[in-house]
Amino acid sequence: MDYFSHSWLPYMYLYGLGAIFFFSGVYLVWKTNALDMRKPHHRRWMTVLFLGYGWFMAVHGILTFLALR
Amino acid sequence: METFHNIGTSTDWIVMIIYFMAVMLFGSYFGRYTKNTSDFFFGGRRFSWWLITMSIVATGVGSHSFVKYSAKGFEHGISSSMTYLNDWFFVPFFMFGWLPIIVYSKVRSIPEYFEKRFSPSARFLATILLLLYMIGYIGIGFLTLGKAVIPMLPEAFTMMGAVVDITLMRAIIVIAIITGIYITFGGQTAVIFTDLLQGVILLFAGFLLFFIGISYLGGFSAFWDLLPTTWKLPLADFNQPSSFNFVGIFWQDAVAGSIGFLFMNQGLLMRFMACKSVNEGRKAAAINIMFVLPLSAVVVGNAGWLGKAISVATPDIISPKTSPDEIFVVVASIITSPGVFGFVMAALTAALMSTVDTLINATAAICVNDIYRPLAKFFGSTFKNEEEKDRKELYVARWVSIAITILGVVAVLAFKNFPTVYEAHGYFHSTLTPPLVVAIFMGVFWKRFTPAGVITTFLGGVALMILGARFPGILIAPFDHGIEMNAARPYSYIRAFYNTVACVGVGVFVTMAGSLYAKLSSQFKNEDYNGSAKMMISSVIASLAFLVILFGFQSISFQLVNAFLVITLVPLIIYYYVPYDEVKATEGLTALSLESAKRMFKGSDINDTEGQIVEIQYQLDEELGKDIRFSQNDMDKMAANVGDLVYVSDRRKWLGGLKSIHAVYGEPHAEDGIVYMSQSNIESGLFDEGRILEAEKEM
Repeated sequence: MDYFSHSWLPYMYLYGLGAIFFFSGVYLVWKTNALDMRKPHHRRWMTVLFLGYGWFMAVHGILTFLALR
Repeated sequence: METFHNIGTSTDWIVMIIYFMAVMLFGSYFGRYTKNTSDFFFGGRRFSWWLITMSIVATGVGSHSFVKYSAKGFEHGISSSMTYLNDWFFVPFFMFGWLPIIVYSKVRSIPEYFEKRFSPSARFLATILLLLYMIGYIGIGFLTLGKAVIPMLPEAFTMMGAVVDITLMRAIIVIAIITGIYITFGGQTAVIFTDLLQGVILLFAGFLLFFIGISYLGGFSAFWDLLPTTWKLPLADFNQPSSFNFVGIFWQDAVAGSIGFLFMNQGLLMRFMACKSVNEGRKAAAINIMFVLPLSAVVVGNAGWLGKAISVATPDIISPKTSPDEIFVVVASIITSPGVFGFVMAALTAALMSTVDTLINATAAICVNDIYRPLAKFFGSTFKNEEEKDRKELYVARWVSIAITILGVVAVLAFKNFPTVYEAHGYFHSTLTPPLVVAIFMGVFWKRFTPAGVITTFLGGVALMILGARFPGILIAPFDHGIEMNAARPYSYIRAFYNTVACVGVGVFVTMAGSLYAKLSSQFKNEDYNGSAKMMISSVIASLAFLVILFGFQSISFQLVNAFLVITLVPLIIYYYVPYDEVKATEGLTALSLESAKRMFKGSDINDTEGQIVEIQYQLDEELGKDIRFSQNDMDKMAANVGDLVYVSDRRKWLGGLKSIHAVYGEPHAEDGIVYMSQSNIESGLFDEGRILEAEKEM
């Protein structure tokens, strides 16, 4: 049985369209200086933001892989 | 569909009653820390991130979650967890846009932001939309509570010789009375601490159920092997079935829901505002979304996954036809022993009550702030002093809480006919969040977004949304991604996409055409009487056009023409009648001007030099006002100047900031390790005599 529409298609949609929202958010808060990269704790927050995105991508990717194995 | 009654034993009921009494006592104990409306609604802006994170668990997980996610877990498997793992996309906007703005601008409610950023009329419309949203949310909470409790109750009981049927609505009314009593006398500090306790218990109860269930099935491998492949996948099928599909839920939950949850859930925002600083709020949000929500996804959905596995292995124990909304209770009763079942059910229902409590408290905050205060100002009410004003507002807040509880019960009627709570909630979110979400978003991140933009987004957006709901096959179908339209409940989730596009479209159109409208409006203003008459006629046409849409007169094309009239005339009317100073309205209220926001919050220039935390003991100085006085050496350690803001708290970390104050550095003295403060600061900080305190510069 083909599970593409139940697994990797929604995955790509989620992290493809989600990336547009997420990275526009990061760009916007950086561009407006709301996230001020001159401040050390803001630099740490920027790392946390990217780690968070990677974390959720990994969780969904691993769960999908395990389910299809 | 198979439904249940009388599940559980008398031991379970005893455990539940003891649990509820313990939680009520716990809440009442912390309720004594409620001294004014700031404490009642915001807990005094004093708490640490970990306390707020845990207290958010019970708010985010408690409401409807156990019932609705177990139902979807039973019907569709692990993809029930989707909605808990898709909130990260909008976190940058929240952490560095909305959160600092609401804290630094000192707004007490979302509508108040609309007045500061736009105009009183924008605040009025935002209040209406937000109240509808909050009361609807409370209704969903009550509905879930009712559905959770009904399987445990008998079908009827006899009272004074008469047989009384236990219906869903009757159960909900009794629950509402208990909930109302608690919130009315507790306030936000009580809710935060009760939620903290319940957050921990909730996670414990959910995992306890999961481990007992896994053991019941013979281990994790047995459980995993019993699940069909589609039940193991973490995301739902792209576009089918109409009652649960990935793309619809993406737009309804990951987009509208996540923004709604982070940006316009007054209950949640009040929790973040109760944090001692913006950075603590960011920590609470990050830890909650990254770690607590994924754990919560397991906690709330596992009963459904276990139910599916049991129904595959032994369909005579759990029938595949079991009502999905009852699966949590059914599974819990089968796999646990008497007493443990009572504990799990108590944790569930008490947490549900917590969520409803938080929402009622938040809605009361909106009513006091956005209805009572403007009305009191309008009617020229006077108070002897701030204390009397505060006492009066607290009194109003308590009565309003009761009224909201009643309205919440009435709101249940709108949702009770949906097949599951999940669909009711999805439909509700898709419909009510887009206008406010779009308005907040554009207001925070687009300086050119004006009162005309926001009011037309509300009115024109709602007009297009009404048309979408009335003609889904024509207007929503182009956005449906291939989802089949269910005639009974058309496009429950994907309508969020259409609604969002409609509201964004209206907002962008009005903002882009802003200069044209400004020119037209000044032309009309120069025409004196003629201009005024033209605007009166435009207002009447726009109002009639909105009524045509509201009541659905004539054909779709006629109604679309009327929507066009609303969208094109309302901006002109607003430009003409509503005064707006862009510089003043955006200063400190958009993401572009956060530094100004901080300066306005502090009242002077920001001192961002990083300092240390110092330990001190307090001494009373009756002469002092809001200022507190440290030694020069201690101030140097904290890198603080006179006039900077300071946060002083009890050194015991486990208190989470319960005993703390925010104050201003006064003139220094020479005694290291001593801080002088007034009696009112000592009382407000709940400081114990002789205890070591910690002080750090806030900004």
